[in-house]
Amino acid sequence: MATGTPVGTLVENTATVDYTLAGADYSIVSNTTTFFVAERIDVDVTLASGQVTVPAAATGQALLFTVTNTGNGSESFSLVVDSLLAGDDFDPEPATPSIYFDSDSSGDFNIGDVAYSAGSNDPVLAADESIDILVVNNIPANVLNGQLGRSQLRATSLTGSGNPGDVYAGLGDGNTDAVIGTTGGADSDVGEYVVQDVVISIRKSQLVTDPSGGNEPVTGATLTYTLTVEVTSAGTATGSAVRDVIPNFSTYVPNSITLNGAAISDATDLDDGEYDITGAPAIAVRLGDLTQADGVQTVVFQVTID
Amino acid sequence: MKTMKSVLLLMISFSVAAMAEGTVDVRTVVQKEEVTVNEDGETVRKLVDADVVVPGETVFYTITFRNVGTEPADNVVITNPIADSLVYIDGSAFGPGTDIQFSVDGGRTFGRVDALTVVEDGVERKATTSDYTHVRWVMNNDLEAGAQAVARFAAVLE
Repeated sequence: MATGTPVGTLVENTATVDYTLAGADYSIVSNTTTFFVAERIDVDVTLASGQVTVPAAATGQALLFTVTNTGNGSESFSLVVDSLLAGDDFDPEPATPSIYFDSDSSGDFNIGDVAYSAGSNDPVLAADESIDILVVNNIPANVLNGQLGRSQLRATSLTGSGNPGDVYAGLGDGNTDAVIGTTGGADSDVGEYVVQDVVISIRKSQLVTDPSGGNEPVTGATLTYTLTVEVTSAGTATGSAVRDVIPNFSTYVPNSITLNGAAISDATDLDDGEYDITGAPAIAVRLGDLTQADGVQTVVFQVTID
Repeated sequence: MKTMKSVLLLMISFSVAAMAEGTVDVRTVVQKEEVTVNEDGETVRKLVDADVVVPGETVFYTITFRNVGTEPADNVVITNPIADSLVYIDGSAFGPGTDIQFSVDGGRTFGRVDALTVVEDGVERKATTSDYTHVRWVMNNDLEAGAQAVARFAAVLE
């Protein structure tokens, strides 16, 4: 709702009656009714940023909100963050401090942005005025790719809040009464973080050993393939696995698979890999949930050239 | 001599005004609706004095006029401006035995709801309630001596 008539506006009304009496025209006016427009307290909080993509364990991740005074007078608002919301996968951890003014109007969290401190720099907004607020959270380390974490900003009128129609006598601008509007004098909105950018790298190298002890890729030569897999960012790559198809004109060397130096049987069994001939012959190794802390995972297998 | 004449004119106009005020009495009040829930859980609506009004609230104006003279008054027209900060509520004007008309030009001309148009950016369009500047009630019959009539309308404070 638009802001509306400013607080303190005097609204007057006078009716006029015109009539004819015995051929003469008359016009008379009524008494004048008056009322002063009291202050209506309303506020709107709207998320201004989209879903924010974050890596695990990231610090200083900001959501942008816009707080608007939708009442008709000047009003101060307190701001509170709540990151312990239901319905998401993890709870972002509010930074200290967790609320900043977007002082440079960049929409991003920057070094020049001034921290909010309840009771000392509560924003004072004229009717219809807005202010951009950054809510800054840290992301826990134990979050998984694709998980969502939500964080809420709530603004509450310092004059009062409550049920629509509640009257705070004399507390409006210019000592008018303040009346709680449809928003109840408080509003909130929720922003969302999604854990997404786990970076995983894979490299493959080969070593040729020919029957005569050289390195020529001739028939009968052995190719030793080395696959290295590594998470290079924060976050967890869940259920990581490697699958490599045996090249044409070559034959897999039985029981040649190793993972980090430990042998893995060819059979499909309880260990972490197998030689899989259900489709095109391939080696498959399951690496599980990988993080940067797990370091480089090395898978080695061999083939011979037909 | 010149001075005498103007004093005389002044006296005459005073007497006309006094006579008029003594013939039709007009009063207006502004109220708003207070909605409460009673002990039985029923919603109770009543009109109360409009002391505290905030944007979005509705105010009700009631104009009461009575012929306190001894002769019938004819061509009775009650005109009421709609303040800038108020928007007339469609269909709210009420006045038994009257023809209700509106103005969109500050009270210079009046017409019925369907006939009103305004020109905006060079284009003529049908008037909406927020264009109304005045409402008036044109009585169909004389207001007899001793008779009282009521006109009412409602508006939202922007």
